[in-house]
Amino acid sequence: MPVLVMLGVLTAAGLLLVRGGQADGDLPARIVAAATAWLPARQRDWGHAMAAELAQVHGRAGRWRFAAGALRVALFPPSGRGRRVLAVALAGLLASAAVTAATAAEIPDLAVSAAVLGLLLGGYATVRASRPHPPCRTVPGVMVAAVALAAVAAAIVSVARIAVAHPAAAADNTHVFAVLFAVALAGYLAVALSSSRGHAGAAQRQAERLAQRLAQRLAQRLAQRLALWWALAAALASGAIWTIIDLTTPLEPVGITGYLWPVGAAAVLAASVGAAATGSAGAGARAGLLTAVLSAPMHFAADLTALMQAGHYALTSPYDVAAFPHSGYPDVASYLLSDAMAGDVLVGLVVYPVVLFAVALFGASFVRGRSSSVTSMLR
Amino acid sequence: MTRARRPSPQTVAVLGALTEDPGRWRYGYDLCAELGIQAGSMYPILMRLADRGLLETCWEAEQAPGKPPRHLYRLTGTGRAYAASAVATAPSASPARTAAARPQLEGA
Repeated sequence: MPVLVMLGVLTAAGLLLVRGGQADGDLPARIVAAATAWLPARQRDWGHAMAAELAQVHGRAGRWRFAAGALRVALFPPSGRGRRVLAVALAGLLASAAVTAATAAEIPDLAVSAAVLGLLLGGYATVRASRPHPPCRTVPGVMVAAVALAAVAAAIVSVARIAVAHPAAAADNTHVFAVLFAVALAGYLAVALSSSRGHAGAAQRQAERLAQRLAQRLAQRLAQRLALWWALAAALASGAIWTIIDLTTPLEPVGITGYLWPVGAAAVLAASVGAAATGSAGAGARAGLLTAVLSAPMHFAADLTALMQAGHYALTSPYDVAAFPHSGYPDVASYLLSDAMAGDVLVGLVVYPVVLFAVALFGASFVRGRSSSVTSMLR
Repeated sequence: MTRARRPSPQTVAVLGALTEDPGRWRYGYDLCAELGIQAGSMYPILMRLADRGLLETCWEAEQAPGKPPRHLYRLTGTGRAYAASAVATAPSASPARTAAARPQLEGA
């Protein structure tokens, strides 16, 4: 049943986005439009120029090539900071290599995750360094960044604890979950840090583009800050509830997130509806997205920490009882913890956040009453 | 002009194309198609040239029905002098022309 609900929510969200974007042309056109919005304000005209040129490009391959070029320009706009970008990229590579080497020496099973996470974060830092104008910081923005960093660190520590205590549980010969874990955490950090540092800048760019008056610009900034506050409050509240339940409820190693994820959905919905009601649909969707992004690693860490606290592990399901002797795991704890970690990575860090973001979109669009505003605000 | 660094071969090619008929306004995608340079390289070149005052830009006044107005480019007076110098001192007269022989772009 939960799977059907998830599929239903995702399908509806997909239809919402597709329907809202019909007037905007094909996917390359939407990519170029999104890239245009990402350009710094003083270079925004160039984004519009590229979007206008795309209308003259015919043929699917040509349009995709042009869109890829526009994306490249948006990610690395010429800023005269080539040396700085190169220095950041090199520093990122060196730091990534050092962290990977240290992890390989201390916790070999996490070396792949460390390498991927290091490379992705180095890439993110490089992209940020190439931006001409550093976005301004706000109080809620700094708090969002701090909570995101703490949550991601907690998730890493929880996995490291399991890997140290039960190395077989963290062994991942396929590296699929190791890579997924790193990609999810890097993505969460990128979203949280970009949102926390870029919202005021985004609001300013939008205000400049539309030549709005000062009052409108201030209102936009206020809406962005409200979104951050709503997201922070909702994520921390859901994280606290999740942690309390995790640490006080008798554990069933499999299925913990199954009955707790409504807590996350409620938090996301509250954040998106609350922010949309006080600000804008864009603020609502961002609040929901941020809530999901901040909550996911918190919930992941709480889950695994609670499992580690259990101390005693027993096979309760008939399937596990039958499968364990042939699994190759040296003990029941490793078997159950490995299963729980894989499930938490796949479901807790990937599937649920996507569903929760869809819930946020619905919440924001419900308040606004127009699905088109939801798609337009995401740009 | 803020920097005396030698322009890249692609920049020289763009300058060369813009110099051929200096008074004519050019489209970005047409330059891409003519020179075989991808948009991801062409637009940063145009942006840098404009930032340095070598290129003037404008939006076309008359546009095709149902299509957005396009951005137009041509060299400024300073740009023409710079282009003449850059093209003259470039190692190869028109290195990107060889790339243009490769049909990388469609629907120009």
